[in-house]
Parts: sequence; C-alpha cells; structure tokens
Amino acid sequence: MEISTKGLSGKIALVTGGTKGIGKAIADKLASKGATVVVTARKPAEENIEHHFIMADLTNSGDIAELSKKLIEKYGTPDILINNVGGTSSPAGGFQMLSDEDWSRDIELNLLASIRLDKVIVPRMIEKNSGAVIHISSLNGKIPLYQSNFSYGVMKSALNAYSKTLANEVAKHGIRVNTVSPGMVRTTAMETFLQSYAQSIGKTVTEASQEIMASLGGVPMNRLAEPEEIANMVAFLVSDDAGYITGTNILVDGGTFPAL
Amino acid sequence: MERELSGKLALVTGGTKGIGKSIADRLLEAGATVIVTARSRPTDENLKCHFIAADLTVASEANKLVSEINARYGTIDILVNNMGGSSSPSGGFGALADEHWENDLQLNLQSAVRLDRAILPQMVERKSGVIIHISSVTGAVPVYESLGAYAVAKAALNNYSKSLSKEFSPKGIRVATVSPGMVKTDTMEGYLQSLSDASGLSVEEVTTNLMNSLGGIPMGRMALPAEIAELVGFLVSPRASYITGVNYIIDGGTNPSL
Repeated sequence: MEISTKGLSGKIALVTGGTKGIGKAIADKLASKGATVVVTARKPAEENIEHHFIMADLTNSGDIAELSKKLIEKYGTPDILINNVGGTSSPAGGFQMLSDEDWSRDIELNLLASIRLDKVIVPRMIEKNSGAVIHISSLNGKIPLYQSNFSYGVMKSALNAYSKTLANEVAKHGIRVNTVSPGMVRTTAMETFLQSYAQSIGKTVTEASQEIMASLGGVPMNRLAEPEEIANMVAFLVSDDAGYITGTNILVDGGTFPAL
Repeated sequence: MERELSGKLALVTGGTKGIGKSIADRLLEAGATVIVTARSRPTDENLKCHFIAADLTVASEANKLVSEINARYGTIDILVNNMGGSSSPSGGFGALADEHWENDLQLNLQSAVRLDRAILPQMVERKSGVIIHISSVTGAVPVYESLGAYAVAKAALNNYSKSLSKEFSPKGIRVATVSPGMVKTDTMEGYLQSLSDASGLSVEEVTTNLMNSLGGIPMGRMALPAEIAELVGFLVSPRASYITGVNYIIDGGTNPSL
C-alpha cells in the first residue's frame, strides 16, 4: 500500500501569524505535505521564509479586504484557512488590572480578527463546496488562569463557541471547521509572556513557568509543547484523513486538562 | 428560610421585567432590600423594589450607579447580572456585521465586567458577597441560525465568571453562572415575533425551529421566569455556601451532553 506523504498536494493554505512560532510551524508542516502556503503577518519575517507572504494587520478591516483580494487574485480561493493569530498584551495580576482597552484589544485579536477573515474567505469556500478552517485557541479557553491572562482566556472561550457555531452552519457546504487548543508551547511569544509574568510576580522565568503549570493542575508530560507538535495536529485536521471531523475542539496539552 | 436574606442589599440589573423582575421578587420574598436597574422606569412599578435608571452599556454608568447605591442604601451584598440579550439579525454567520458582534459582547459581557469591577472592592473589603451571572444554555450549546453572536458572548461570559470565581472565592466571594434555556417572557415573545417577521414563518413554527436547533426540550415547554428565579434565590442564599465557580444550566433537559 502506497502511503502518500504529499497529502495536501494542490491545496492552497493561508496561515495567519505565519512568520513565527506556532504559525510558522504550521506553515512549514503544511508545505511539507505539498500545500502551497501563503502566510500573513503585520510585518515580514526576520529571516527568509520559503512561503508566500502577504502583509496584513488583521485587526484592521481594510487590511483584511486587501489580503483577501490579493490572495484570491494571485492564488485562488484557499482550501485551507488557519486562523492562528492571537495573543495578549494585557497585564497580569488579576481582574482588577484590566482596563476596558485591554478587554477591547483581546476581543479584537483573539475573536474578531478570525471572524472578519472567515467572513471574507468562507463564502468563497462555500462557492467551491469545500474547505477546511482551523481556529487556534488555547487551553485557557477551558482552564482559564485569572492571575496571568484573564481576558485572553475569556476570548478563547468565545472563539471556541464561535468556531463550533460556524462548523454547524457550514457543514452542509462541505466545509469542516475545528479548533485546536494548545497548552503551553515553547515559542518566543511564550518566552516574552513568561518574562513579563515573572516580572509582575517578582519571580524567575522558571518559577513563573512552574507556577502556571501548577495552577493548570500540573502537566503530566511535564514540559512545554514544541510548535511542531501543534502543527502535526493541524495538518492532520485539514487533511482528508480527518474527513468526518468537524465542530471539535482538540486539546494538545500534554495531558493537562483534568476532566473527562 | 423565608427571611434568609434579611439585612442583605441586592442589586438586580435588567430587574424591571422578565427574568430580572422575577429574581427581584424572589429576593424580596427572602427579606433582601432589592435595587433594580434598567434604562427606563417601568410602567407597572414594583413599589417594594428601589429603582435606579442606568444604561450599563455606557462605560461610566457602572461606577455612577454603584456610588449612588452606596450613598443611598449602603454596601452591596448580592449582585445579579441579569441584563443581557441581543438585537442581532438572524440569517446565520453572514448576516452578522461587526457592530452586531460588538453590541452583543458589550451587552452580555462588558456590562457585567464593568459592574463587577465597580462592586468587587466593597465585597472584598467585607470578605463576603455573591455575584450571579445570568448566561444562557446557548453558551454551552451554541446555535447559529439566529443568536450566533449572543451564544459566543455568553460563552465568553461563562469563562469570565469561572475565572472571577477562582480569583475571588479565596476572598470570601462566591461567583456563579445560571444558564437558562428558553424562558417565557415578553422579550422572548418579541424575539420569536421578530424571527417570524424575518422568515415569514408563523410564531409557532419559529418557536419549534428554535427548540429543535437546541436539540429539543425534553420537558416540552419554556421555563417560567419564576423557575429561574428559584434557582438564583437558592444560589445567593446561605444554603449555597459551598457553591462557587459553577455554571448551572436550567433548561428543561435541553443540554444533551454530560
């Protein structure tokens, strides 16, 4: 039996926030499976990347319209859309540290950016009666951490609900929509977050990391994920091997989530 | 049991009609002093509740409301964030513009965030208090044809309430969520009428469709507002002293999963 390693041959994939961290790992993995990959970010990557690049700030609706136009003119309607962009710059220290502006930023980056991009891309997928959409969420959508990233977790829960409703709506059009929820992942963004959190609680980065892992209830695998481990799940979910999987939220968390 | 909230000061948002009014009545029966807010004075006023007008979708109103309550009545022991809803159109994902998402998030999440933020310091100082967030079964079992943005906002509210409970339970404050299914109120009737108008189907048909989109209601009917109020009345009472961080779905059996 011949096993094809080029399962995504001929597919066009768009990966947001695709120039570093998890997004880059996803872009690399999809390309290795044969997809033509277009990445977006607010600015080009520091080192040369082999993927096609379109600059866009997804918190700006004008940029989204431009991105969609350029993408479709140059490459066609994507088969695969990875909504990876997300994050937070809100202060740690609990609920009362968060201003209305912090909430607005987290709503924009973690929910509305994906909604706006889906709104221009998914109708094109509907025209083709096929497509696979992934929303990159976070374990904090299911296990929120008030002390380190309160509003981020809230918006990831919102993203999870949104992803599910979209999945239910577009299943009849041959489009699968799923969420992937990583636990802690070893990226520079995580490093930056831990440094900032460590500073806010007056501990070292190692202590801050351990504290977060403990407040999640412990990580059975006792380490952070590698970005590639998240990318593996994403590549599987967008492939035909996952043809009956839609509307799910798959945790990639080293065993952290404690409940059934 | 009848006067178990004697001496307590309770604030119920959106407390002049529907579920909020039932909750206010229930807390009154239990002996609480009850303040209700809404954007405008109700026509048939419940004279045993104190009314203060406030539009909690306006950022500055939360602090203003709390200051007025503190000045006139004292510190707040019980907060029921009942206000919520949606004026977003049906028609699925494509029908929702940015402003619909923003409005639903403001009404169902941000208003509660601002009010909780304004009230928590006094509860923390007294090392006691109860905060209830009224959510919706759609926060756990989202629907898409109509109420898509509402369901997403309620899912956000559920996470928010849970996080708040984890942070403030150690400080003596209980925080819980109550998620009703369909409830027989004027607002619900107005909503079903709007669905009927938009689709050309009868009110009965849109009601059945909505129930079906939730997977059906085993009890075969909507809740009465008083039934929701009973659960809230229990949760804010001393009998619920070990209950925090929960999301109790009260939906006639709708939620299909464990």
